[in-house]
Amino acid sequence: MAGAHGPSSDAADDEVTPETASTILPTESPTLVWVGLGAGLLAFEVGALATFLVAILSDTLAAASLPGVGFVEGIEAAARQLPTLLSRETVPNEGYWNGQRWVGTFLGLRPEVAWGIRVALVYLYALAVAGWAVLGYRLYRREYRAADWTPRDDVIDRFRNHGWGLFGLAVVFMFVVMAVFAPALGPTTVDKNMRNSYDNELTYWDAETDSVETILVGEANLASQSRGDGEERVGPMEYDDFGRFHPFGTLPTGRDLFTFIAVGSRISLVIGLLSVGLSVGVATSLALIGAYYKGRVDLGMVLVSDGVMAMPQLLLLIMLTTVLKDTWVAGLYSGAFLLALIFAFTGWTYMWRSLRGPALQVSERQWIDAAKSFGQRPRTIMRQHMLPYITGYLLIYGSMTLGGAIIAIAGLSFLGLGVSPPTPEWGRAVNLGQEYVDTGSWHISLIPGLLITLVVTGFNALGDGIRDAIDPRSDAAGSDADDGAAAGRGGGA
Amino acid sequence: MSDEPLLSVRDLEVVFHTERERIHAVDGVTFEIREGQTVGLVGESGSGKSVTARSILGLVDEPGRIEGGEILYRGEDLTEDNWADHRGDIAIVFQDPTNSLNPVYTIGNQIEEALRIHQDLRGRAATDRAIELLEDVGIPDAPRRVDEYPHQLSGGMAQRAVIAMALACDPDLLVCDEPTTALDVTIQAQILDLLAELQAEQDLAILFITHDMGVIEDATDWVNVIYAGEVVERAPTEALFDHPAHPYTRALLESIPGRTDPDERLPTIEGEVPTPTGPATDCRFAPRCPEAFEDCRSVAPEHVSLDGDRSAACLLHDPARSDGGERQ
Amino acid sequence: MSRLRYIAKRVALSVPVVWLGTTMTWAIIYLGPIDPATRLLSEGQTQNPAAYEAARTQLGLDQPPLQHYFDWMGSLLTFDLGQTWLLYQGSDVNALILDFLPRTLWLGFWSVLIAVCIGVPLGFYAGMRSNTASDYVASMGGIVWRAMPNFWLGIMLLAVLGSSQAIFGFDWQSLWIELDALTGSPDLSRLHTVEGFLAATKKVLPAAIVLGSASMGNEMRIGRTAVLEVRNEDYVDLARAKGVSERALVWKHIFRNALIPLVPIITSEAFLLIGGSVLVETVFSINGIGLLFFNAATQGDLPLVGTLMYVFILLIVGVNLLQDVLYTVIDPRVGLEGA
Ligand code: SF4
Repeated sequence: MAGAHGPSSDAADDEVTPETASTILPTESPTLVWVGLGAGLLAFEVGALATFLVAILSDTLAAASLPGVGFVEGIEAAARQLPTLLSRETVPNEGYWNGQRWVGTFLGLRPEVAWGIRVALVYLYALAVAGWAVLGYRLYRREYRAADWTPRDDVIDRFRNHGWGLFGLAVVFMFVVMAVFAPALGPTTVDKNMRNSYDNELTYWDAETDSVETILVGEANLASQSRGDGEERVGPMEYDDFGRFHPFGTLPTGRDLFTFIAVGSRISLVIGLLSVGLSVGVATSLALIGAYYKGRVDLGMVLVSDGVMAMPQLLLLIMLTTVLKDTWVAGLYSGAFLLALIFAFTGWTYMWRSLRGPALQVSERQWIDAAKSFGQRPRTIMRQHMLPYITGYLLIYGSMTLGGAIIAIAGLSFLGLGVSPPTPEWGRAVNLGQEYVDTGSWHISLIPGLLITLVVTGFNALGDGIRDAIDPRSDAAGSDADDGAAAGRGGGA
Repeated sequence: MSDEPLLSVRDLEVVFHTERERIHAVDGVTFEIREGQTVGLVGESGSGKSVTARSILGLVDEPGRIEGGEILYRGEDLTEDNWADHRGDIAIVFQDPTNSLNPVYTIGNQIEEALRIHQDLRGRAATDRAIELLEDVGIPDAPRRVDEYPHQLSGGMAQRAVIAMALACDPDLLVCDEPTTALDVTIQAQILDLLAELQAEQDLAILFITHDMGVIEDATDWVNVIYAGEVVERAPTEALFDHPAHPYTRALLESIPGRTDPDERLPTIEGEVPTPTGPATDCRFAPRCPEAFEDCRSVAPEHVSLDGDRSAACLLHDPARSDGGERQ
Repeated sequence: MSRLRYIAKRVALSVPVVWLGTTMTWAIIYLGPIDPATRLLSEGQTQNPAAYEAARTQLGLDQPPLQHYFDWMGSLLTFDLGQTWLLYQGSDVNALILDFLPRTLWLGFWSVLIAVCIGVPLGFYAGMRSNTASDYVASMGGIVWRAMPNFWLGIMLLAVLGSSQAIFGFDWQSLWIELDALTGSPDLSRLHTVEGFLAATKKVLPAAIVLGSASMGNEMRIGRTAVLEVRNEDYVDLARAKGVSERALVWKHIFRNALIPLVPIITSEAFLLIGGSVLVETVFSINGIGLLFFNAATQGDLPLVGTLMYVFILLIVGVNLLQDVLYTVIDPRVGLEGA
């Protein structure tokens, strides 16, 4: 994506001439083409998008037991009718062998191939969307922005040359795509395979009777469990006895691990984003207020945050999740919403710590005094004159905190807290597989753990890259120490 | 003065290797210093003067490397990696005194470290000598100061302590890399006086590296003007100030306040020092030179000897291209 | 003298911190949506109003909240922690803590030691050889190591140790000192004998490595950048120009300064250690105070949860004070800048 455009094309950006314009989009009205491309891309996924949005709404309403649930469910059903090109229905991988050939899979291909095609298509699509966004930014930079050059351009150029940061971006991108397209990526669905496995049927080829049979998914799961060696396991990239393909193998319950992980990534990302967003909001406002008023206000904040930090984060998380687990908030999105709130409450201190220094520094600048002397209101000064100088830090610490949040969420669900079963969560998979690590079913614990490590490394690398891009000279021990505080590494999970 | 110079730098090349290019920070610098002499190396920031100073002490940091030329100390080439044999013979004072002292050790500890290495003094004797040195550089209340930490000293005092530490090595040559730039004006003058005094007392040679023509005029006997990694003019200080031969020197002199008509705006030199990445094929000052002519863009000027010992690397003084010279 | 004043000031500042933390704990437990009294009773007894009232009275919940708050704080302050309700029913909380805490401290001690002894030298090594292959290997290792979840690392380590005979050719369990089992609590009663000491150490070693993993990665990273930064300082160049030998340069001038940014890291890891102890003690079945806290929380013994939180707060604040003391020892600038 970003890397495709070499530095040489930057020079062309500086002059707005028809020739250079054509290097990006060979047309007279690049904007129209760009919008058209966007619409085309969107068309692929209208159905999924609508379903997703409505589902969130109905989930919230249902959990809060507010009226209007029925109405929203109606819309949900309607949304499902919208066509989605990149869906499991368009490229199905669930089929059966009827003795001669595969029935019900995409073009009659083997399930693994059909599944592979779907995954490849989804990632290609995501890449196309990312490329489209980059194109849009470049278009804006060249055609619409008044300034030829802004300091932000340098930041972006520096990031583009930061290998480690790009690696992080790539990992984060893969993860986000997995979370967003989770339902389409799994070889099966949570609903069919886990939640309502006894309401769904499965057709398969019975080798013993040489005929096509049907069985309840739940019963098929019981026969595909991974609880040991040899016959007692369905490992990664293997088929079970019912012709179902399991890219990551099965869980001890016989459910599909890949589906579990894909859907689990979504909940991790949602909790992570929500909690980081909330703590960023709290931390930023407090940092600005503290830096503006200084003195006692600042001291008070130091004390409060020290007080919160004196309770180890993971323990506080455990305490709060237990105390709050029977409230209605805990019902929202399988407990994810509550978890995000708790995270924000326990995590803002670390972020605030890291922001306090930069905020205080900005507040010492002369333009702040100047603004004060003009009689500008404190709110305006904070928002317009101070906030822009700490947004960079927000990105850095936000990225690193997200990694920490993912570890901590996994740690909690490993302990059986937080996200309530059967909603998948990576940590629970590790827990489920714990008993079987030293048998042939090692994959159950190993794979989610490796993925957590990879994703967290990715978020940290992204944060590193952003930091180096914003301030290339900041590779200082001090800033690393701040990262340590901000990331908190999930409070030790 | 003996015939052999104390220090002679010849065709020094220092190259910094970055991912994409080789930057010739110092590109053939040549100059010498005789015993007891004060020599200036003057140029804008980015001209390679600090790198030259560090090279003399073998302190060029990665990714920089000395890739050519020689640095002869009493006839012995230091670039053959024998700085270690001459540690203490050449001492250095950096620009920022607060960074020059290790924050976790007392002043005394750091001076005594040098005394132990170079004068084999230890314990009480070393402390007494350290106090003496601090007094020599004009630090009041030295017996108390010797036990203080660097952050307890003001900038001027800290720079004096750094000089004391340099003296503890008993050097023949003191390299001063912008020693007064980070200090207040009044303190600058005091430090310059101190250096002049020490030089008179101890027959010390001093290499003054600065961008400040005023400091050069006050403190040095001989000047080398450096531009883009090359010495472009060398001359006795007085002669240089009276008749600058190189257009760059003239530009530098014009930018000193008080030398031009007070009513006029102070002229500044437009543009920046280029960073050479390959061998010179033109005069590197040409883009900024008010007197540039055609040849300047295709010929790299060589040093031309002028009256006295002085010389300048400018085509204006090249008899073969006298057409330019006559425009004067 | 001002150093003493500095420390005194830190001590004074930690009082409101303990108070705030404890107050928040009280509020969460006693003002939260769960009635601690119901959680203490078994299914049948919740229907029994007499038993419920009795539980409330014993918890002091029949008093007005403010009164209860003061009583509660008072008893914490005097370490009059009473008896347990649910877990280890009826035992003395003080005794319980004294029984469980040493195992966690033993685990924490080793994990700090291992992390510091491996992470810091490795980071310094990488910093001294920056941008060489060994630097890249060490740095990458540190970054990945830091990103691994403790609980998962623990499981994997146990699996590897469990089949160490097949993988490494020796059996961990019987190596040097025979262990009764891979997991479980260390026996701290025989620490004074050499063999007892070694056995207890070997028992917690895998757990300590896991618990220290995040810290080790952090320390490595900070150590590396600190060395890199100090190495480029003018005073190091000046010391070199002075003729200080390379050895003395590294040990006296570089490492000493590079240690300064490591102090807050090492101590701030107390947070990670105490938080992580819950998971690590669960995975390795060590009967430490982290596991006790977790069991109390999941089984509903909320009064015990509150008390333990108070103990954790004291531990954390104590470690922070230790950090301040260390700081004044290692960095002469602390406390003298009038900060
Ligand atoms: S050679 Fe030409 S360009 Fe260079 S200084 Fe002389 S006159 Fe100027």
